Amino acid sequence: MDRGDPCESLARLVARLIAATTLTLVATVAVKAQDAGAFHEVETKYIFGNFTVGSSTGIEGEKAFEPETEANFGKGGGGHYAVSQTTLEYEFTPTQYMQIIFGPTVSYYNIHGVPGLDDRNVAAINGFEAEFRSVLIDRNPSPIAVTASLEPEFHSRDETSGAKVVNYGLEAKLEADAELIKNRLFWGFNLLYEPETTRADLGQWQNESTFGISSALAYQIVPNVVIGADLWYLRHYDGAAFNSFTGDAVYLGPTFYWKIAPKVLMSAAWETQIAGHEPGVSSNLDLTDFSRQRARLLLEFEF
Amino acid sequence: MNLLPRRGVWPVRACLAIALFGVARLASEHANAQQSASVAISVKDHRFQPSQISAPANRPISIKVKNLDAAPMEFESVSLRVEKVIAPGSEGVVNVRALAPGRYEFFDDFHQETRGVLMVE
Repeated sequence: MDRGDPCESLARLVARLIAATTLTLVATVAVKAQDAGAFHEVETKYIFGNFTVGSSTGIEGEKAFEPETEANFGKGGGGHYAVSQTTLEYEFTPTQYMQIIFGPTVSYYNIHGVPGLDDRNVAAINGFEAEFRSVLIDRNPSPIAVTASLEPEFHSRDETSGAKVVNYGLEAKLEADAELIKNRLFWGFNLLYEPETTRADLGQWQNESTFGISSALAYQIVPNVVIGADLWYLRHYDGAAFNSFTGDAVYLGPTFYWKIAPKVLMSAAWETQIAGHEPGVSSNLDLTDFSRQRARLLLEFEF
Repeated sequence: MNLLPRRGVWPVRACLAIALFGVARLASEHANAQQSASVAISVKDHRFQPSQISAPANRPISIKVKNLDAAPMEFESVSLRVEKVIAPGSEGVVNVRALAPGRYEFFDDFHQETRGVLMVE
């Protein structure tokens, strides 16, 4: 795969950042020009597109069904790579401080001609995930709200290759956000640590870990519609405690949130790896540990 | 350092810690429940009466909501993190945690134009 000239890639990165900034400024002006009374409080959890998650933990007693799909496209060396994982989540909020989510996962692998990966075209139920979220800092009087999230996971297939494995992981996140303009402009920030352990064919357990940090902006451009941009920096290691660095990646992309009806919403994000590094590989992307593109789509049906 | 010495045990403990933290905060609120402040509000012709209510800061709040309309309403607030469906002609109580001073919006989720504000001082 042609990964391009580093200068050209840098130029593309700068152009995208400029475009994102311009979009931000235009949206700010548009937002300020509208009637402030038409905009009301929004739950921030999904307004950043759901790679970056906001701090809201929902409303006490609220229950919802949420199919959430994450898709990854493109690996190094050519070929066709498209993998998705859908979690059929049940979400409920037992108290004003805590939210619990759980559900099975279904994956689809469509891999052909990718070096280092077996060809595969299969869909399978492949595991179970749960998530516990608790408010650490309320927005008022603090300008920044922070929620801690722990997501234990079990998978019976490797998330990258689709090979049969036994995989346990724990995605730990700090999810923070701030309201920069009341009910209009929001900034989101996530800190991620995800250790995993996997047993493959040879029977050996192998540990790995991922560190991530994100920053996102979201604007409510018209009531119940929020657009924005999300930036992630991810580092991958062999070993559960950042033992051996294997690569890093920067993702950037647009986000979209729409509260379709009082009890129905959608949240979406599409991100492209715009920079990356893999030790020993002369490339400006890491397409071994990470995909070229990734996307998320979540629907929520409250009942 | 191996953070996974006994597979499956420490993630469970971490999740329990998160859950206990949330439950502890809830228990703390209930311990102070006898000091809660009461506020009353009604809904008629899909309007809150009064549209602005006030309550003291740093004390749990009980909001008594009387629905005087012929249709059900759902008292809801994003910042208060509460919701309650109230049948026509009946009354419901919404319990809110102790709050810092500020302005908190609420609305009827079945009639989104029905809106009010809780001022905590």
